[in-house]
Amino acid sequence: MVGTVAVEEAGTQAGSAAPALAGKYLTFALDAEEYGLPVLKVREIIKVMDITQVPQVPPHVRGVINLRGKVIPVIDLRAKFGLPSQEATERTCIVVVDVALSDTTVKLGIVVDAVSEVLNVAAPEIDPAPEFGDRVSTDYMLGLAKVKGTVKILLDLDRVLGADSALGGRIF
Amino acid sequence: MDSTAWNPEDELATLASDPEVTGMFVTEALDHLGTIESVVLQLESTPGDVKLLNDVFRPFHTIKGNAGALGVTSVQEVAHKVENLLDLARSGRHVMGPDEFEVVLQAVDLLTLMIQELPARVAGAAATDVHARRHALMEAVDALVAGGEGQAAAPAAAPAREAPLPVAVPQRDAAGAGQPIRRDESQGTVKVDTRKLDNLIDMVGELVIAQSILAEDPALARSTDERLGRRLSQLKRITSDLQRNAMSMRMVPIRQTFQKMVRLVRDLGKKSGKPIDLTLQGEDTELDRRVVEDIHDPLMHMLRNSVDHGVEPADARVAAGKPAQASIRLSAFHEAGNIVIEIADDGAGLDTDRILAKAVKQGLMAEGTSLSPAEIHQLIFQPGFSTAETVTEISGRGVGMDVVRRNIEALRGRIEIHTARGQGTTFSIRLPLTLAIVDGILLRVGHGRFVIPTHAVRESLRPAGSQVHSVHGRPCMVQVRDRLIPILDVGDLFAVDGGTRDITASTVVVIEDNGRPVALVVDELLGKQEVVIKSLGEAFEGVRGVAGGAILGDGRIGLILDAGGLVAVMDKSPARQAA
Repeated sequence: MVGTVAVEEAGTQAGSAAPALAGKYLTFALDAEEYGLPVLKVREIIKVMDITQVPQVPPHVRGVINLRGKVIPVIDLRAKFGLPSQEATERTCIVVVDVALSDTTVKLGIVVDAVSEVLNVAAPEIDPAPEFGDRVSTDYMLGLAKVKGTVKILLDLDRVLGADSALGGRIF
Repeated sequence: MDSTAWNPEDELATLASDPEVTGMFVTEALDHLGTIESVVLQLESTPGDVKLLNDVFRPFHTIKGNAGALGVTSVQEVAHKVENLLDLARSGRHVMGPDEFEVVLQAVDLLTLMIQELPARVAGAAATDVHARRHALMEAVDALVAGGEGQAAAPAAAPAREAPLPVAVPQRDAAGAGQPIRRDESQGTVKVDTRKLDNLIDMVGELVIAQSILAEDPALARSTDERLGRRLSQLKRITSDLQRNAMSMRMVPIRQTFQKMVRLVRDLGKKSGKPIDLTLQGEDTELDRRVVEDIHDPLMHMLRNSVDHGVEPADARVAAGKPAQASIRLSAFHEAGNIVIEIADDGAGLDTDRILAKAVKQGLMAEGTSLSPAEIHQLIFQPGFSTAETVTEISGRGVGMDVVRRNIEALRGRIEIHTARGQGTTFSIRLPLTLAIVDGILLRVGHGRFVIPTHAVRESLRPAGSQVHSVHGRPCMVQVRDRLIPILDVGDLFAVDGGTRDITASTVVVIEDNGRPVALVVDELLGKQEVVIKSLGEAFEGVRGVAGGAILGDGRIGLILDAGGLVAVMDKSPARQAA
């Protein structure tokens, strides 16, 4: 498969007890916002390839791809977060992540606008996710990281997509 | 007996600290128990065979040793008791009779249960309470040992059925018992995690695709370099060899499953009082590992049926001029690219009149319907059907054959019946060689490509306008000869972009499931292809009409359509089609 960036070995030191959130995050852009994923969850980053649609699934499930012989589902994070959809560009990527379901871990791909960098976030830079009232649910955020003058939303992928997803219970 | 003080929690301490060791112990012990069971069954017909006795003794000894080392005293004690009995037998101081074999087999069952539940118990789950059963078994063994010694002391009282062999056990065996020698019939095997195996097979599949993409690359097609061509065809040979080899690794002989049936038939025969001779053929036939596992339950049900309904009681057999001992043959062989498993009995055969009468009585069909004998035979696969007048312990509750058929169809197999009045019944199960590959027809619908398994397809045609009938202005039926077949627009159902909307310009593929046809509207048939089936994963479990994904020649995924699911969609889809 072309254009594979291996990031598996990128960040191996997990944060300790209290500042558990400190550590390395893969940051990416989605619409006007910047998000971060714990780098240990990321398996690889691939270019957008032809996605096979699957019927009878919610709109944010784009379909399935062949990742070197494995069939994995692909989630459109824009659709999941209710952002306007956008045509794929040169920079659009599929980030392959491990997501914990209730009893297993599955690999799935998430479509993002562009991958930025792997960022080392220290504990003092992380704020807990604030409460926005009913308007915006923050259950699926690990916190907010203030780095280099911007705010990055650190995602708890297991909650975004996994079993106890704040956005809908099941994986889809 | 100190075992009464057995505390089930104490013995788990060692195991809890190392789950890997538990796993190894469990796999190995279950392996040994399987060996023991099959050897005991052989031993039943030649009770004095010292070599076979040793073959039973050694694995018991190993289980005892391993269980002792890991502190699983409950297992160790049972194994120890039985080992004592066997030790007496192999040194000629005890005669193995029916009671002894029964008790050894019971011990095998009990130990199997206890060992199977061990990992769950270590993990803190509740297990079956075997305390009483274990206690009773150990006392039974003790009683036999005590009785046996009495026998040996008074040889005149010993039955003359088989003189105990006073031949001294070869020294090597006695010493060898300390470090049991693991005999392996094959040249040696390695146990591999199935996930690793599946990964390997996935990667080989990708290699084949990469190789074919390379071979069809236009730059290579333009090349006239002969040497390059030779090297490429060498690569192709190696990849396809590799693929064949990788696929064969999933295959295992059906022997183990067959051997479990020997025990089953023996027990059933005893219970029902019908002497039965079960012969096995083709135990070395290799099947996909999953098929070997999943075929166990259907075979069990079918053998139960054969023993209970197929085979007549001994007196009826003698009256019919047949030998009193019934025979059932269980065989496996290759035929025309399929694996066939047959269960043949020499019983009374299926009674079509009785089946028909019963089906009418049970409301499965209307009275006066005329059916061919083959159709009548198929009735036994209907849910709720049973011809047994009384519910016996073995069968007759009307669950079974319908489940059997469902299980076999889940393995993409078929089941056939051949029967002759008074001569017996043969059930033939036809299974695909491997579950990993399906023979399919590649379809194009708009920009999407789909695979439909060939066995579900009846025919394909390009309908003329006069063949298409509409309801409420929508084309709903296509008339093929004198049959009206409901139409299912695949493009609509799967919301594929760019499909044709004019049915007469597209192709109709008629598929059938359980006798119900559906006409699929597609744009084009792209050809026949063998594809590797991949599960879409649990995330897509609820999707109807899709059996999985296939990785196509260009590395992209085509969805494999599921005929049963598509037919079921027709039941509920008016709303969807109208939308």
